[in-house]
Amino acid sequence: MKQLLNWIGKRVKRLDGPEKVTGALKYMTDFHFENMVWGKVLRATYPYAKIHSIQTDKAKQLPGVICILTHEDIPGFNGFGIVVPDQPVLASDIVRCTGDAIALVAAETLEIAEQALSLIEVDYEPLEAVTDAEQAMSAEAPKLHPDGNIHSHVKIKNGNIDKAFREADIIVENTFYSPRQMHAFIETEGGWGVMDEEGFITIRCPGQYAYRDRMQIARALAYNPERIRVISSPIGGAFGGKDEITVQIYLALLAMHTNGRPVKIHLSREESVIAGIKRHPFKVRMRTAAKKDGTLLANEVRAVADTGAYASLGGAVIALAIEHSCGPYKIPNVNLEGFCVYTNNGISGAFRGFGVNQVCIGIETHLDMIAEQLGLDPIEIRKKNVYHQGEVSSMGHVVKSSVGTFKTLEAAENCDLWKNRNQYKKEVSEPWKKRGVALATSFHGIGMGIGLPDYGAASIELLPDGKFLVAVGCEEIGGGNGTAYAQVAAEILNCDISKIKVIQGDTSKTLDGGTVTASRSTYTGGRAVATAAPNMIKLLSNTAAVILKVPLSEIKILRDCLAAKEEILSYEAIYEYLYIHHQPTKVEGHFLLPKEKTEIKGSGGAPHHLYGYLTHVVMVEVDTLTGETEVLRVVSIPDAGRVINPQGLEGQAEGGAVMGIGYTLYEDVIIEEGFHKTKNFTDYIIPTIRETPLIETFPVEDEEQTGPFGAKGIGEVVMIPIIPAIMSAIYDATGARIYHLPATPERIFNALKEMKKQNIQPSR
Amino acid sequence: MLVSEIEIITPISVNDCLLLLSKNETEHRIIAGGTDAVVRMKEGKWRPSAWINIKGLKDLRYIKEKNGAIHIGPLTTHTDIIHSPLLQKRADVLVEACREVGAVQMQNMGTIGGNIGTASPAGDTIPALYVLEASIELQSINSSRIIPINQLFTGPGRTVIKPNEMITNIIIKPQTENEIGIFQKLGPRKAQSISIVNVAIMLSMASNRECLGGKIAFGSVAPTIIRAKKCEALLSLNPLTDDIIENIAKVAWKEVMPITDGRATAEYRRDMASALLERGLFRLMRRWENK
Repeated sequence: MKQLLNWIGKRVKRLDGPEKVTGALKYMTDFHFENMVWGKVLRATYPYAKIHSIQTDKAKQLPGVICILTHEDIPGFNGFGIVVPDQPVLASDIVRCTGDAIALVAAETLEIAEQALSLIEVDYEPLEAVTDAEQAMSAEAPKLHPDGNIHSHVKIKNGNIDKAFREADIIVENTFYSPRQMHAFIETEGGWGVMDEEGFITIRCPGQYAYRDRMQIARALAYNPERIRVISSPIGGAFGGKDEITVQIYLALLAMHTNGRPVKIHLSREESVIAGIKRHPFKVRMRTAAKKDGTLLANEVRAVADTGAYASLGGAVIALAIEHSCGPYKIPNVNLEGFCVYTNNGISGAFRGFGVNQVCIGIETHLDMIAEQLGLDPIEIRKKNVYHQGEVSSMGHVVKSSVGTFKTLEAAENCDLWKNRNQYKKEVSEPWKKRGVALATSFHGIGMGIGLPDYGAASIELLPDGKFLVAVGCEEIGGGNGTAYAQVAAEILNCDISKIKVIQGDTSKTLDGGTVTASRSTYTGGRAVATAAPNMIKLLSNTAAVILKVPLSEIKILRDCLAAKEEILSYEAIYEYLYIHHQPTKVEGHFLLPKEKTEIKGSGGAPHHLYGYLTHVVMVEVDTLTGETEVLRVVSIPDAGRVINPQGLEGQAEGGAVMGIGYTLYEDVIIEEGFHKTKNFTDYIIPTIRETPLIETFPVEDEEQTGPFGAKGIGEVVMIPIIPAIMSAIYDATGARIYHLPATPERIFNALKEMKKQNIQPSR
Repeated sequence: MLVSEIEIITPISVNDCLLLLSKNETEHRIIAGGTDAVVRMKEGKWRPSAWINIKGLKDLRYIKEKNGAIHIGPLTTHTDIIHSPLLQKRADVLVEACREVGAVQMQNMGTIGGNIGTASPAGDTIPALYVLEASIELQSINSSRIIPINQLFTGPGRTVIKPNEMITNIIIKPQTENEIGIFQKLGPRKAQSISIVNVAIMLSMASNRECLGGKIAFGSVAPTIIRAKKCEALLSLNPLTDDIIENIAKVAWKEVMPITDGRATAEYRRDMASALLERGLFRLMRRWENK
């Protein structure tokens, strides 16, 4: 039953909208200070080489150079990494990718800093680079790290796979290759560092978890974290690419050597392409078995992820990929295996979707293939196999939280694009073009898996002007979580949204409430605010009772004020009383996220307690003369639990769809022999507004009892099922299946040419 | 040479500029819109001792009719061309090509003279200038010469323009009532991309689908822009029915000699030369029939 609500579920405009749209907002890398100095990073010349010596004398002598730092200048631990700190802050004896940092420069101008880089002499002994993940797993490959090249190995087994394949009526088997996607945020990695006279360090640098960044800085500097402040919000886009340390430690190191002058580092796009984290390219071999009636019997998966030179979150990515490799279905017999492997190909880590993108293309394509061979409708076969709340998933665990897949499939079945697809497909714009319509469904875990403590925290402070300052650690990464926090606060406090101010991502002003990752910040931050808000009501009413000299039971919480009998009390008046009497005006809320009790053996953290679900329906048009594909329409049907802000959800759904289009059709960072062939946005192709189709968003709201007002999370799944949906729509249009993404015009054209050669007629 | 050390000299007239060039300072380079020059400067490829900044020379920014020809000043921007009613009517193929150049910001800054001077085999305006039989006027302080566009380029990024010369005029032959043109481009995406293959086509039509002749120029499939002379010769043999178009387009495959690069393989480029010609002729016939 839905309560009558003032703010939840309403199309509330983004609080930070106007300043972002008009450009008034200054991002951290936009700032300049009068006495500032410029920092630059020397990157490796080779993807894999020994370092014999590093000479900085010439560079130090260049007029205008303030300092040159190498590994010898690191006071603490020379390494970072969220899970395993295997990436050196500054390389000392070996480099493992061209993104490796070797030295830092601070200088009066950017040009002098760049010149100084060219004067640092590094004596390398180049080694033969390991450039293929499968090759890296072989015994002959050189070991890039002491424990070998396999960073992690996850394995999940259920049922009797051999028996299931023997008894199956139909088996499909394919190998899928996925690209190295770049986050392509507008604001490249960068920020500021400054150390004051007392040795207090302030780092202003966009990130996705200020408290963890602070700990990583402290570890490298051997410095008391309480004496480091990290400001990590607002962010000009991150999508996972600023989850790991970017330049924070470099900034802190340089700030220790610039005599109190602020130092700025801002990577050029070219440097960001080489040094920034990317999405893991996967090779996924999948074999799926089904009965004649379409019931899935078994799934066998072997996924190999190229994590590049360092682990970052690679282990977690492959674990999440395997957990999601069978889709939101109940397959009784599974044999799933994933490897996260070191190579000399840049560095891969967190990216929206976190491994699920790469595996969902396998299971969804296989469902369509099985459906086609059995003459089943693609929606019917999915409805038959999805798990419902309380049922056992392919992982073998009972899913206790909300599950909206079935509802999203029903909504897909009834949407205009699907119902009238045969008509739309006929309306091609030119005779040599062909249209196809397809759908796919997927899911994504919300929050951390088993083994990682997961908590939320928020504070609410009453301000002199009678407004509330809601402080949440989770950064404003672009998704609009701050507006959702304001809505939750205004709803519970029973005030107008204009009375709420939100601050995010600042270790001196916000509590540690975990990361902005794992589709968790609406759920976690929202629930933290919902936990803190009743404490504020308690503070307000207790104070009001004292001021008005009435029993607490007579205090009423009215809109924008409190009251007892005939008397009305403003928030300002309550603040004044608290201030005069030296009483605290701030309350906190803390909670632990619900977790599953038992970890699935060998899974590396599965299952999650919560999942968000989504079905995409797409229509494409393929130019059969050139192989160009245009996505014409997208219907996005999310189950995000209760929607806090429909406008925010649509923003996520539309942005996610376009990012998914980019992944499927255009994007790939090409690395050959360890060197980047892709340099910048000239050759890294992302969709523009001309590639953006009509996108409709129809949420189904399967409410999650534990969430704030029934909300779950949505940040990642919005870009996932669209990938296999586009692949299937291309097949529906032309009869050509693409197994290697991105599906560029050349790949599609070649597939069509191959079909012509073999005289294969399109099946539909 | 550091960027901050590069001098900028701004001549006040064409003559002033030619005088500067005549001093034979080989380390000087002309900069107009800067859409190529600035990128190359950043990459460290172009670091002249001085930039000769001609962007402000208003005398070189014009579009006018003269003695049955159209004269376009080299500092005319792509946006100027797109918005010119004269060119929309009499050189639609050039207008279409300018619309496909980079982003709108690039079209606002970039000049047609710069596009010619850069001499990229993938330049979008050059195939259009080929089919419009453009002539390029080159001036030095004491002489002037006119070079047909197909003789201007010697290779990728190379032209016959001497260090003391600059482009001062681009003369094209306007389309007549029965001439129609089209520019087709295949890039890795629809907007803001560098051509994988491009083609400019101009046809002179009689009645129905009967074609009196035409010109076809391909970009990105050879060291310079090239005319597809065999395909051109086939245009007037039969009315341009869909079947005939397909046959003519197949011949294009033989007239190109592309290379493999980051954007596409040579084989795909060859196939695309045919595909774009086919698509372009299809679309032209549709337009012609709807005219």
